[in-house]
Amino acid sequence: MKVVNSAHAGTLESSDAYIQINPINEDIVEIELESSVEELYGEMIEELIRETLKQMEVSHVHVKIQDKGALDLVLKARLQAAVLRACQLSRNPDWSLL
Amino acid sequence: MESSIEFSQFNSTNVRRVRRVKEFLKKNQLELSTDIELFVVGKEDDNIIACGGVAGKVLKSIAVAKERRGEGIILKLMTELLNAAYNNNQNELFLFSTPNNIEFFRDCGFHLIEECDGEVMLMENSKNLQNYQKKLTKLKKDGDVIGSIVMNANPFTLGHRYLVEEASKRSDWLHLFVVREDASEFKFADRIELIKKGTSHLKNVTIHEGSDYIISKATFPTYFIKDKGMINELHAKLDLNIFRNQLAPYLGITHRFVGTEPYCKVTNNYNQNMKKILADKQSKFQPIEVVEIPRIEFENQAISASRVRKLLQEKNYEELKSIVPPSTYEFLIKNRTLSL
Repeated sequence: MKVVNSAHAGTLESSDAYIQINPINEDIVEIELESSVEELYGEMIEELIRETLKQMEVSHVHVKIQDKGALDLVLKARLQAAVLRACQLSRNPDWSLL
Repeated sequence: MESSIEFSQFNSTNVRRVRRVKEFLKKNQLELSTDIELFVVGKEDDNIIACGGVAGKVLKSIAVAKERRGEGIILKLMTELLNAAYNNNQNELFLFSTPNNIEFFRDCGFHLIEECDGEVMLMENSKNLQNYQKKLTKLKKDGDVIGSIVMNANPFTLGHRYLVEEASKRSDWLHLFVVREDASEFKFADRIELIKKGTSHLKNVTIHEGSDYIISKATFPTYFIKDKGMINELHAKLDLNIFRNQLAPYLGITHRFVGTEPYCKVTNNYNQNMKKILADKQSKFQPIEVVEIPRIEFENQAISASRVRKLLQEKNYEELKSIVPPSTYEFLIKNRTLSL
C-alpha cells in the first residue's frame, strides 16, 4: 500500500494511542514513540508497529505514536486505521492485509 | 462515569460563539488571541467547559473550567485540537500556554521550547528546533566578536545597509537573520533577495533564512500587528529568551546589533527589553552584548522602511531614490504596480 497523504487516528485518552502518519521520501519506516509505559514495553510496541506495517506492505513513512498504555490490539487497530486513511483506502481496504 | 461533553468546531467569523468563548476565557484569567482561525469548544448542557484555538500552526487560548479540572478533559480537548489542526494539514505544531500546565501538554506529545517569567511558555510537538540547532552548528564561525542582526527589511533601505556595514566592521563574523514570516507588505523571497544584493560587498556575513524561532507568528505573534501598537511584552521577552538560550549558543553569538528607534514606541520598547534579557548576567547562558547603532538620516529624518512604504504610496520616487540602495530602487520601480 502506498501512503499518499498525512493521516491520524486515535485519541490521547488513557488506554488509547494517538497515531499520526506522514509520507517521507526514503524507503524506511521511521518511528517516533512516546509512551507512558515506554520503559516496560517500548521495544515491544515498536516491534508491533513494524510488524503491522510490514504486513500491510507499507514503507516510506514516518509514524508518530503518543501512547497512553493502549493494549496491543488497540495500537494495531489505530495504526491500521491511520494507514488506510493515509493510503486513502479507508472505504475499501484490502482485508487480506489486515 | 459516562461523560456527556460534546465537542464542536467553528471559525472566528462566528461572532456570537466567539463572544461566548471570550467570556469563558476571561473567567479563567485568559485572553482571547486575535489571530485564532478555528475554535474547538467542549460543552455540557450548553455550558462551555473547555476550549482551545488554532492559529495557523499554533494552538493557544486553551482552557478547562476550574471546577472541571482533574477529570482528564484536557486530553479530550487536545485530541480534538490536534484533529482540527491536522485536518488543516498543519502537522508540526506549536502551543502557547502558561508554564504551570507544562505536564498536561507533555502528556500530549509537546515539549518545552522556552518559557518566560513563569507567565508564558512555548512548546512544539516536532523535533524541528533540534534539527535547526544542528543546522546552525554547522554554520558556526570562529572569532572573538560574533555579531548578529535580526531584520525584517520591509524593504531593505540605506538605513539597513548602514546597520549591516557597521555591524560587519565591528564583528569577526556577522550572522544576519531575515524574518521569514510572509506577513509583511513585501514577500520574504523579495526581502531576502534585496538584502543579499545590498550587502554583497561584505565578506564576513552569513545571511540566514529566518525560522519559526526568530520573530515568527509562533514566537512573537503580536510583532506582525505592531502598527496597531498591540505588541505583547511577554511575547517579546519570550522571543528574546529563545534567541539567547536556544539559538545564539549554537552559533557562538556574542553581540546583537540593532538600530536605534526614534519613532516607534513598540520597537523601542523591544530594544530596551533586548538589552535587559540578552545581556542578563544572572542567566546560565552566555550574555550577549546589545549594540544600538544610531540610525542614519536623510533631510533630518531617520531612514526607515515605513518611510519607504509611505513614499511609495505617495509616488515620491525622487526622495525614495535617496534613501534606498540602487538594487532596492530598481526592484521598487520594476514592481511599482505592487499594491501596498
